[in-house]
Amino acid sequence: MNRANGVVVAAERISRVFPMPAGPVVAVREVTLTVAPGEHIAIRGPSGCGKSTLLHMLGCVDAPSSGTLMFEGRDIAALGDGARSLLRLRHIGFVFQRFFLLPMLTAAENVELPQAEAGVPARERRRRSLELLEYVGLGARGEHRPSQLSGGEMQRVAIARALANRPRLLLADEPTGELDQATGEQVAALLDRVNADGTALVIVTHDPTLAGRARRVLTMRDGRIEAERQS
Amino acid sequence: MMAPLAFAWRALVRQPARSALGVVGVASVGALLLDMLLLSEGLVLSMQQLLERMAFDVRVTAGDALPGTGADITDATTASTAIAALPEVREVTPIRSEEATMRHRDREVDASVIGVGGTTRIWTILRGRDPTGPRELVINQYATDTLGVEPGGTVMVSAYCADDDAPPPVPFRVAGVAELPFETPDAAAAATLLADLEEACGIRGAGIADFLAVTSTGNPSAAAAAIAAARPDLTAFTNEEVVGRVEQGAFTYFRQISTVLATITMAFALLLITVLLTVSVNQRLGEIAALRALGFSRRRVVLDVLCESALIVGTGGVLSVPVGLLLAVWLDAILKQMPGVPMQLHFFVFEPRTLAVHGMLLAATTVLAAAYPMRIVARLPIAATLRNEVIS
Repeated sequence: MNRANGVVVAAERISRVFPMPAGPVVAVREVTLTVAPGEHIAIRGPSGCGKSTLLHMLGCVDAPSSGTLMFEGRDIAALGDGARSLLRLRHIGFVFQRFFLLPMLTAAENVELPQAEAGVPARERRRRSLELLEYVGLGARGEHRPSQLSGGEMQRVAIARALANRPRLLLADEPTGELDQATGEQVAALLDRVNADGTALVIVTHDPTLAGRARRVLTMRDGRIEAERQS
Repeated sequence: MMAPLAFAWRALVRQPARSALGVVGVASVGALLLDMLLLSEGLVLSMQQLLERMAFDVRVTAGDALPGTGADITDATTASTAIAALPEVREVTPIRSEEATMRHRDREVDASVIGVGGTTRIWTILRGRDPTGPRELVINQYATDTLGVEPGGTVMVSAYCADDDAPPPVPFRVAGVAELPFETPDAAAAATLLADLEEACGIRGAGIADFLAVTSTGNPSAAAAAIAAARPDLTAFTNEEVVGRVEQGAFTYFRQISTVLATITMAFALLLITVLLTVSVNQRLGEIAALRALGFSRRRVVLDVLCESALIVGTGGVLSVPVGLLLAVWLDAILKQMPGVPMQLHFFVFEPRTLAVHGMLLAATTVLAAAYPMRIVARLPIAATLRNEVIS
């Protein structure tokens, strides 16, 4: 249904409640949001407003306590853990603030990792990894380990890894949070390019400059989308 | 490169000191485990091998006791004739053992002297030959060294076959030096023909034997059954039955001690690997959560932990085999220094089955040690872990 309508992910009044000893904490309150193919969305807001929790639900790593979440027409609530893993592997890319590259693997091997899990043949994934490293401007650093890369380079490798299985949706949680301004700018430009090449992009960020590059900017407060700006 | 085992290998190489600690720990514990397994069956196997090396496979005694521990057979000649006539029996040899003093020139030593009827020989000649003529005997190496006599020499034998005074010493010619069954390294022993032993005892033609050594025609169980039917007053033991009796007796203690120590070493291995893997996994929770977010299945990340455990235990286990075998040789030499332990008997005996059990126990350790860290990984909340990693 949503695939026919050209929607990658559709959230309908989704909430996320965390049970705590002192009482339940509502992190996300009845948020309704759709992400269309090729969209570029930034989610802003103060710490603890529910941005990352919303991103995790959109990326199917966390389940809404209530509401409906559809990914390309499939109800996420109906999927088991294995099916959700497969969906993430094939259709969703993640970029984390702390990169989470595996230090014992080279940059190329890190990019190969999701492809290997998806069953891509070794030769094909090697070719794709080198292609992606070229894409992020690190073609010459494929054999380098994360410890031999700068923060910006690590994040670019992480972006290449997130794109490895050609996802429809790329989710980035504070992708420039650990980088200086100049390096953050390079990463932001790379994300713009990824989006321009057709991948829907949802970024959670405190950085107004990074958020300003998105065509839709959602501002959250107390678990709700307080404001939305389109450009 | 990305298969779980290769992936686990990379994870271990990433922390070489910790991985080496695990491997060395498993190698040490595995070596001890192998030794405990060897010890638990060693004496029984050694006894079995010792019995099987002998030229007979059924022992007949007067009572229910094992040879040398019960009453004598007082009609050994008659019984031998009756048993030898059975179709399941090839040969019967009455065997009697008595204490004696052997003297050569000015040297003297107490010895255990075995008298053998029939043609079966229960010793292995090291030098010289079997006793064939009258008043010939073979002596063991300890007797040779103590008395300073070699084949061709003469020893005076005073045998103590009864509570009465010893008969006068009888001269015996040393026909050879032999390895006698159940001889100990610090005791003199000799063997001669039964008639000559009886003569030394001053009771020629007594027809008394400790037991009858019976060689079956190939089926010792059938021979034992036939003997039991023919002479219900006697008891026939096959080698397996002798080993079974011994196993239920003193050797049980070794098995119990081995079981306790093996269990403790297993517990140490479990704790060591569990702690190492748990620490390793806890340090990588963010990475694991990220892999899960990228689409790695729960099964895959659990398998990675199991493979890490398998690599540590597997590498340590392989190293533990030569270490354990060397340790077993050393421990066997120490234990064999105990007084009264027969030279041919070993406490640690290698057999392929022990290696298989060792492997199975280590495989079980692999799985059990990985169980807790695998549970951590399997139940890892992806979103909460990613959030916590950023906050920390």
